[in-house]
Amino acid sequence: MADSSFVLRPSSFNEIYRCMKCGNCREVCPVFLETGHEAMVARGRVQLLKAVLEDRLDLSDGLRDRVYACLNCNACYVACPCGIEVDQLILASRIAMVRAGKPLPDSQRVLRERIVGEQNPYGQKQSERGAWLPEKYRKPRPSPVVFHAGCAISYANNRVGKMAIAILESASADFMMMGDEEQCCGDPILRMGDVDSAEAQRRRNIEEYRKYGVETIVTACAGCLKMFKSYYTEQAGLQPSPFSTRDSELRTQDSAPSAQDFRVIHTLEWFAELIGQGRLKPQKPLAKRVAYFDGCDIGRHSGVYEAPRQVLRSIPGVELIEFPAHHETSRCCGGPLMASDPEMAASIASKRIREVLDASAEMIAVACPTCMVNLRDGANRLGAKMEIQDVTALLYRVLK
Amino acid sequence: MLGDAARSRLREIVGAPHFLDSLEDRISYSYDATLYEALPDAIVYPGSVEEVAAVVRLANEERFAVTPRGAGTGLSGGSIPIAGGLVMVLTRLNRIVAISTDDLYAVVEPGVITADLAAAVARRGLLYPPDPASQTVSTIGGNVAENAGGLRGLKYGVTRHYILGLEVVTPKGEILHTGSATVKCVTGYDLTQLMVGSEGTLGVVTRIWCKLVPMPEHKESMLAIFDHMDDAARTVAAIIRSGVIPATLEFLDRVTINAVEDFKKIGLPRQAEAILLIETDGQRSAAQAEADKVVAICRENHAGSVQKAADETERAQLWLARRSALSSLARVRPTTILEDATVPRSRVPDMVRGVREIAERHRILIGNFGHAGDGNLHPTVLTDIRDKEEYARAEKAIEEIFDLALSLGGTLSGEHGIGMAKAPFLKRETGAVGIKTMRSIKRALDPNNILNPGKMMLDEA
Repeated sequence: MADSSFVLRPSSFNEIYRCMKCGNCREVCPVFLETGHEAMVARGRVQLLKAVLEDRLDLSDGLRDRVYACLNCNACYVACPCGIEVDQLILASRIAMVRAGKPLPDSQRVLRERIVGEQNPYGQKQSERGAWLPEKYRKPRPSPVVFHAGCAISYANNRVGKMAIAILESASADFMMMGDEEQCCGDPILRMGDVDSAEAQRRRNIEEYRKYGVETIVTACAGCLKMFKSYYTEQAGLQPSPFSTRDSELRTQDSAPSAQDFRVIHTLEWFAELIGQGRLKPQKPLAKRVAYFDGCDIGRHSGVYEAPRQVLRSIPGVELIEFPAHHETSRCCGGPLMASDPEMAASIASKRIREVLDASAEMIAVACPTCMVNLRDGANRLGAKMEIQDVTALLYRVLK
Repeated sequence: MLGDAARSRLREIVGAPHFLDSLEDRISYSYDATLYEALPDAIVYPGSVEEVAAVVRLANEERFAVTPRGAGTGLSGGSIPIAGGLVMVLTRLNRIVAISTDDLYAVVEPGVITADLAAAVARRGLLYPPDPASQTVSTIGGNVAENAGGLRGLKYGVTRHYILGLEVVTPKGEILHTGSATVKCVTGYDLTQLMVGSEGTLGVVTRIWCKLVPMPEHKESMLAIFDHMDDAARTVAAIIRSGVIPATLEFLDRVTINAVEDFKKIGLPRQAEAILLIETDGQRSAAQAEADKVVAICRENHAGSVQKAADETERAQLWLARRSALSSLARVRPTTILEDATVPRSRVPDMVRGVREIAERHRILIGNFGHAGDGNLHPTVLTDIRDKEEYARAEKAIEEIFDLALSLGGTLSGEHGIGMAKAPFLKRETGAVGIKTMRSIKRALDPNNILNPGKMMLDEA
């Protein structure tokens, strides 16, 4: 091996060699469909990693840029006849590059500094994190349920967070929040390959939750959901958690204790339960043709497909339609590229919009803050008359 | 090796963004869907037939090789740049130029993905029949170069039966038009059919006139499970003898059935020696009558169970086993080698038995499935390329499979092509005169041996 610090799990070698190079991934990869370049699709990246293992390629800047251009949507895993866990390979190679001391791409470097410095990707102050919250939620208290708002809601747009709280309170649902003490789940920093910092976040968050007797983590952020399910616990969606305790190479030496006893759900799952129990009653009609968009983090990565649909179906007047590719074959909105390649992110988003414009959808319902922002960009770019709303916002609208 | 002057010229011809020569990009274009790999010096993405011609002319001046490429999903090594030089990717030429519903043809550029063409013509009630398994990623240009087949081969034929005419850049960089958009055409040598299946060695296809047929009104799908291979084989023969040519007649062997059960857990009986998946299509009454005949024949030949799909959902269920065959087999071992040896239909039982015997003797796991109706089976070797000893046994087994097919009056390749994978065996099938004839054609059209050199054993004197 050229670079002895390029460490992958032993099973990663098998993954790389199992690639049949059939190219099925080319059909579903959003970045490939934009660029037409083989190095921008799973097959190309897997073969590049194979070249590194076989001493034909170093951990070059060119390799790094191609590996970091991946959306981590994992559509390729679903399309792959061999079931290659591409997302895990991409993550493992980023981790290996960070450990080898390779400088991150510029857009990622800034993000990392912010998360390590202020425990959020926006670089805003920890002390201001809970400012949007009613007083009773600004400090943690013992409770079996913690509602984790996440950084996007806390710092970028708290509208959905406020509505979620209002909805839960209207159903007399009990929960606490970490408030001013809430910290990033660590997903963005894990995605960029800094597993050591991500592990520090995981350890700290789990210790805090245990301190307050938490049994269930509820979150309104799809990214946090994915992180809690696949990294904190082992309840991931489609494939085995990439970071299960078996894979010691991807964890730091003294990992935090297993967190298998936490139940992790999205707020929409709780809303669906409450609707089922009659504690939430969607009453006002909403006569719209709505396409629900299966975001990658809540869908493929976390396995939550039905709860958002149940919530939408419970709203009188809503006609629910599907995107041409949906559930585990859903296509990414392009959101993860917003920071590093806004042009491509918007181009991918506009393709998604066009898919349901053709089906006369009047609205796209999403369950992820990234999807919301990026699909709106895509709609603007097309000049399309397409409303994009969070499922939570729609439920809120019809409850009051 | 591509000189600096040539690289500058190439950047001028295609535009700098469409010229790639980093090591990472070169590695990305060094492979296809086989186990072969070779680094090109550079990659170009031409945007017009003029650019293609200019690149090929430059290649003749500077004497570098040019290997055309579509999606790079070929199964014989046709797009591997073994002589280095340039990989020329045709995917920027991806327009469906015209569809004529009156004259039943479509005009397409080579980078159009086959399934996209099929979907576009289907919207107008027409069918482009050749359906290689790779159709959602492979390109029409690649299909033409390799004469791709597919599941509809038995009733509808293969790619070559659906190409009316071509625009081709010759190995000397001239623009050639072959064939005609008419139903019938006999004017000079049939250069269209010379180009189809020539694996990128005689020209770069830049425009294709595809024949279309009306979309059949109705389709019936059936799945029959057999305890004994011979019963399934007799069923295949009996169906054809009865005057029914099914649109699809696919087969899975026991190794494949068990791989599918391991992965998909459909509920297939693991002891079954064969599964047949059969489809009839055409006018509703005809398709149904043919389907009834097929079901009866299956039962007469001791099929343990025969299921007929009542609707699209059930059809998808019946198809699941066949659709999952390759993916299920691919998950068994790290290395999967998909072969293509084809025999006359009547020899399918001998071929299946022979492959099983070869597998046992070499202690190699081989799953067999494929187009039983036209004799084009896909013995699939499951091994691990990193285990040198086992891999040597696998290679020996594959060579014996070729010999077996030839001994049964068959051919090395029904639909994947010769490329690199089967080049060493080509002479066993064509004979010395065949090779000599092909080489003289190659030399006449490509005197500087620019286009895809080293393939199909065309290089030696």
